[in-house]
Amino acid sequence: MQAGASSSPPHGPVRGPQSLVSGLVLIALAVFAIWLTSDLPQGTLRAMGPAMLPRWLAVGVGLCGVALVAAGLLRHGSQLENFTLRGPLVVGVAIVCFGLTIRGYALGPVQVPQLGLIVAGPLAIFISGFATPEARFRELLILALALTAFCMALFGDLLNLPIPMYPQALADLYPAGWSSDGRLRATAALLALGALAIFLATHRRRTGREPIDVVPDEHAGTV
Amino acid sequence: MGDLIANLSLGFGTVFGLIPVDIPGLGVVPIPLNILLCFVGCLVGTLVGVLPGVGPVASIAMLLPITFKFDPTGALIMLAGIYYGAQYGGSTTAILVNIPGEATSVVTTLDGHQMARRGRAGVALGIAAIGSFFAGCVATVFIAAVGAPLTKLALIFGPAEYFSLMVMGLVFAVVLARGSILRAIAMILVGILLSTVGTDLETGQERMTFGMQFLSDGIDFAVLAMGLFGVAEILRNLDHTEVRDVVQQAIGRLLPNRQDMRDSAMPILRGTFIGGILGILPGNGAVLGPFASYTVEKKLAKDPRRFGQGAIEGVAGPESANNAGAQTSFIPLLTLGIPPNAVMALMVGAMTIHGIVPGPQVMTKNPNLFWGMIASMWVGNLMLLIINLPLIGVWVRLLKVPYRLMFPAILMFCSIGIYSINSLPTDVFFIALFGLIGYALIKFGFEPAPLLLGFVLGKLMEENLRRALIISRGDMMTFIERPVSAVLLLVAIVMLTLALLPSIRSRREEVFVED
Repeated sequence: MQAGASSSPPHGPVRGPQSLVSGLVLIALAVFAIWLTSDLPQGTLRAMGPAMLPRWLAVGVGLCGVALVAAGLLRHGSQLENFTLRGPLVVGVAIVCFGLTIRGYALGPVQVPQLGLIVAGPLAIFISGFATPEARFRELLILALALTAFCMALFGDLLNLPIPMYPQALADLYPAGWSSDGRLRATAALLALGALAIFLATHRRRTGREPIDVVPDEHAGTV
Repeated sequence: MGDLIANLSLGFGTVFGLIPVDIPGLGVVPIPLNILLCFVGCLVGTLVGVLPGVGPVASIAMLLPITFKFDPTGALIMLAGIYYGAQYGGSTTAILVNIPGEATSVVTTLDGHQMARRGRAGVALGIAAIGSFFAGCVATVFIAAVGAPLTKLALIFGPAEYFSLMVMGLVFAVVLARGSILRAIAMILVGILLSTVGTDLETGQERMTFGMQFLSDGIDFAVLAMGLFGVAEILRNLDHTEVRDVVQQAIGRLLPNRQDMRDSAMPILRGTFIGGILGILPGNGAVLGPFASYTVEKKLAKDPRRFGQGAIEGVAGPESANNAGAQTSFIPLLTLGIPPNAVMALMVGAMTIHGIVPGPQVMTKNPNLFWGMIASMWVGNLMLLIINLPLIGVWVRLLKVPYRLMFPAILMFCSIGIYSINSLPTDVFFIALFGLIGYALIKFGFEPAPLLLGFVLGKLMEENLRRALIISRGDMMTFIERPVSAVLLLVAIVMLTLALLPSIRSRREEVFVED
C-alpha cells in the first residue's frame, strides 16, 4: 500500500492513490451512516420508515466508494494532493474561538461568560491571520481593532442584529445615563481610535515603507 | 399581453414606490426604500463579489443578515441585488485578476483577461456590463411572460412528477459537474444523505443526530454553504502562495467603440438566448450557458484563432449568457418552488426566514413580492451599469489588498453572518467543521457544488417520494406510469447515458478543462 505515497509512477497494486483513498473515505462514510440508522425502522415502500432513504443512500455512496477503489487499483490516476495543516488548524481554532466567546454559554459544567463581539471579533481575526506564514503582527492588530469597530457600527448600531456586543462589565463602566446605542457607539469609536493610534505610533518608526502601487485611474473622464 | 403589462407595472410600482420610514431625528419620511435597497444590494454584492475566491454563494450567505431588518419584499429585492452584484463582481475579478469568482465566469477569464493585458480592460468590463444589461432586460420580460403560465404547470405536477423532475435536475447537475461523473454522483448522494440528518417529518424519529439537540432540526443550509464555499475556499487559497495577476496596464476607456459594438451585437443576442434557455433547466443549467456561448462564438467566428487572444466576442457572448442564465434560474424557484442551484437555495432560505414558502402560490398570495422581485431584476441590472463602471477604480484598488489581510476579514464576516441567523454558537462551530470537510473533499478531487445541490433537493425529494408512494400504495411503477414523470425520467436517463458515452465523455472533459 505504500506504493501510492511515492511521487514516481507507482509500480505496486495502487495506481491511482487519490481514487483509492477517496473511495475508502466514501465506504467508511457509508458504513458509518448504516450503523447510525441501524436502530431505526425501515418501513415498507407503502409507508416508508425513517431509515429507508438514508440506508439506500448510504448503500449508493458505498457502491461509489467501491467503484473508486477499483478505479484506484486498475487505472492510473492522480496522486494525493499535498496537505498543509497550518491553514486548516489555525482557521478552525479561530472560528471556534469566535463561537466560544460571542455569547454566554454553558459548556457542560463550565459557564462561559458573555464576552461579545468586542472579544470574539479581534480574537478571530488575530488568530486566523496566522494561518498564513506571511502574517504580520502589527497589520493584524490594526485590522482586528478597526474591523471590529466597523462591524459593531454596522451590525449593532445600523442593523440592530441581536449579536452580543460587549460584556456587561464593560457596559457598566459608562455613565449610567447613556443609552445602549450611545455605549455601543462609544465602544466602537474607542476601538477605531485604538487602531488609529497603533497605526500612527508604529507608522512613524517605519520610514522605508514600500510605496503603494495602484493602477492609475486613467479611465476617469472617459465615461 | 395586457396581463403582462399590468403585472410588470405592479412590479415597478412596488420597486419605485415610496415607503414611509421612521428616520431618527426626521420623523416618518416617505422614501423610495426598495430602490435604495436594490442599490445598496448591488453595491455591497459587487464589493464582496470582487474579493478573489468569494463567489455569489459565499457572498449571499455572508450578506444574508443585513437583509433581516427589512420587510420580505425589500429583503428579497436587496438579495437579488446582492446576487447580481456578486455575479458582476466575479466577472470583474475574472477580467482584471484572472481569478473567476465562480464557475460561470471561468470562460470570461479566457478572453477577458487577455483583453485586459492588452490595455483593453475597460472595454472588456464595459462590454460585459452592456451585454449583461441587455441580457437582463430580455430575461426580465421573459420571466414575466412565462412565469404565469409555468405556475399553472405546477398544478398538474403531483408528487411523482416533482420527484422525477428533481431526479432529472440532479442528473443534469452530474452531467454538468466538472471532473469525473462517478465522483459527482457520489457527492450528490452524500448531499442527500446529509439532508436526511435530523428529525424525520413523517414519523418524528431522530435520524443520525447522535442524540444532540442542535442536530434535531437538521443541518442548516446556510451553515453548510458557508462552510463548503466560504471557509473551504479560504483554506484552499491559503495553500497556494499568492500570485495575483492584477493587470498592471491602464484600464483604458470603458465605452466600446463602434467596431467593438458591431462585433459584440450578435454574440450578445446569441449569448442571451443560449443562457436564458439553459438557465431554466433544473440542476444548475445556468453554469453551462457561458461555456455553450463561448463554444458557439468560436465555431461561428471567421478567425477562431483570435479566441484566447482577447477577442471581444469571447467576453460579450458568455457574459450575456451568464447574466441571462442567472436570471432565468429564478423561474424553477418562483414557479415550482424547486431551487435549481445553490444560490437559489439560499434564496429559499431567505424567503423562509421572512415567512414565505417558495412555490407557485407566491405569485397569487404575494403578487407585490413576486412582480416586485422581477421588476427589481431589471432595475438591478441598470444599477450595475450605472454604479459599477464609474467605480472600477475602487474595485481595482480593492483587488490590491493582500490576501493575508482579506481572509481574516472574510472569516469574521462569515462568523458574524452565520451567528446572526440563529444566534447559535454551534452554527459557528459547524462552519469550521464543514470548512475542513470541504477542504478535504477538494483535496480528494471531489467538487462541493453537487453535494450542496443534493442537500438542497434532498428534503423535497424524500417528501415527494413518500407522498408518491403513499398515493400509489407502494408501487414504484407510478413514476413510469404517469406520462409527465416518465418523460422527465427518460430525459434524465438519456442525458446520463449520453454523458457516459466515450466520445461525448472526452468532449465533456475538454469543455471543462479550459479553465
